[in-house]
Amino acid sequence: MLADLLQNTLDGLAAGASYALIAVGFTLIFGVLRRANLSYGPAIMLGSYAAAFAFQNYGLGLIALAGICVFASVLAGAYVERLCFAPHRKGSAIAAMVASFALWMQLEEVAMLVMPKHLYAFPPLNQGGPLDFAGFTVRVEALVMLGAATAVCALVWWILYRTRFGLATRAVIESSRAAELSGISVPRVYIGVFALASAIGGLAGFLISASFEQVTPMLGMWSTLKGLLAMMLGGLGSLPGAVVGALALGLLEAHSQWYLGPQLRDLIAFLLLFVLLAIGPRWMTPSNG
Amino acid sequence: MSALLQIKDLVTAYGKIEALKGVSLDVQEGSITCLLGPNGAGKTTLMMTVAGILKPKAGAIAFAGHEISEQQAHAIVAAGIALVPENRLMFPNMTVVENLQAGAYQRRDREIGADVDKLLVRFPRLKDRAEQNAGTLSGGEQQMLAVARALMSRPKLLLMDEPSLGLAPLVVEEIFRIITELHRDGTTIFLVEQNAHMALKVAGHFYLMEQGKVTFSGDPGSLAEDEVIKRAYLGSAKL
Repeated sequence: MLADLLQNTLDGLAAGASYALIAVGFTLIFGVLRRANLSYGPAIMLGSYAAAFAFQNYGLGLIALAGICVFASVLAGAYVERLCFAPHRKGSAIAAMVASFALWMQLEEVAMLVMPKHLYAFPPLNQGGPLDFAGFTVRVEALVMLGAATAVCALVWWILYRTRFGLATRAVIESSRAAELSGISVPRVYIGVFALASAIGGLAGFLISASFEQVTPMLGMWSTLKGLLAMMLGGLGSLPGAVVGALALGLLEAHSQWYLGPQLRDLIAFLLLFVLLAIGPRWMTPSNG
Repeated sequence: MSALLQIKDLVTAYGKIEALKGVSLDVQEGSITCLLGPNGAGKTTLMMTVAGILKPKAGAIAFAGHEISEQQAHAIVAAGIALVPENRLMFPNMTVVENLQAGAYQRRDREIGADVDKLLVRFPRLKDRAEQNAGTLSGGEQQMLAVARALMSRPKLLLMDEPSLGLAPLVVEEIFRIITELHRDGTTIFLVEQNAHMALKVAGHFYLMEQGKVTFSGDPGSLAEDEVIKRAYLGSAKL
């Protein structure tokens, strides 16, 4: 009984770590631009598809594939930024969001036209089996995911609090008007943040694809939903909140899958979101940081 | 003296409503020039247009002989104009020192740290709170920080939009003491003020703006001063 609880908690944290990677990028964009980028997940998916393509046709190794995931995601992210967000900097947030929804459809179509099969193989991170700690099973992928999530959080903190670009980014988050008046080019900060978030997303996509050992077009929607859910659970726009929200989501899913069955797993997560939205809209007010 | 800032027939509109209906004025190099006028006259719109936040529909803005009306706000800061905005616009969750560093964002030299230290000496009340978040400062301290942040870009022209707004009389005196000090050190100052009495004490030249147009200009101490002050507060329509 207790062993199940602990095992589920371990599994939940591992899944939560992958959500955290997605949510950090998603929240960076939302926190700085104050606009939801629904194409965030599909850009990640496109990165993983590019890597799966390279794996299939050229048999590249894991490191090269990780590089392709990051590079292609950043490229797709730049495309989304130019088309959906650059034209709506001072305009409607809804317009930018709807435009990013349209590009979501487009990016999925591109992936399915170039690689029409429903499923493509992705090489695993670890050839051996799972590790065994005193009766608990831990996948090596889960440890890598936790390590990567920790490293990315540390890196983002370092960028935000220790670099010139980070200073500008925080200034834009606090007041884009004051940032402009201080001589900060707000569009340039937007582009930088988009590139950083897309690179993190690309890394997340690589780790997730390698840990599932496959890619499908569903990875796009899956990523956007997990990122959105984690961000909303953690309070809109807060990076530490997004990480906490992601871990909470992972734990919630792992436990509800075990106790209530896999069919109810996603239902529980969305039910929680519904309850939060219904009883505490103030929870969702955008915060800084 | 020559005109550091030359504004000619400037029109700025919000949609179809023109807030500036052809404004022309000069700010002489090394002067304190004051812009007076009742609420809604377009003073803040003028400041925002010069700073590059708002784009004019027509007209020209020349700074040190170069046309700047098409430039982005950050490029205008780099050119040497800094605006201390109305309501101060702090970065509330960043420390005092970080606010100052943000103000120097256009600079690439190695003296930024030294300038932060110098300004903290000049504004001792900020020095005591250097590592505190700007949002925790009092209104007067925030105004000092807004001025200091603007100075971090080493501007040739400092635009100030209602720096005394909502501050206690003693703090207002301190702000005006700082304005005269900056002027003495060679900074040209273009000041928007509701507090006409204080402004006319320090200004070398003033303009009166009403309903989007410059309606009067002159030097303080002229016979028209009382009339100007009345109109600055009330607008001519009500006289």
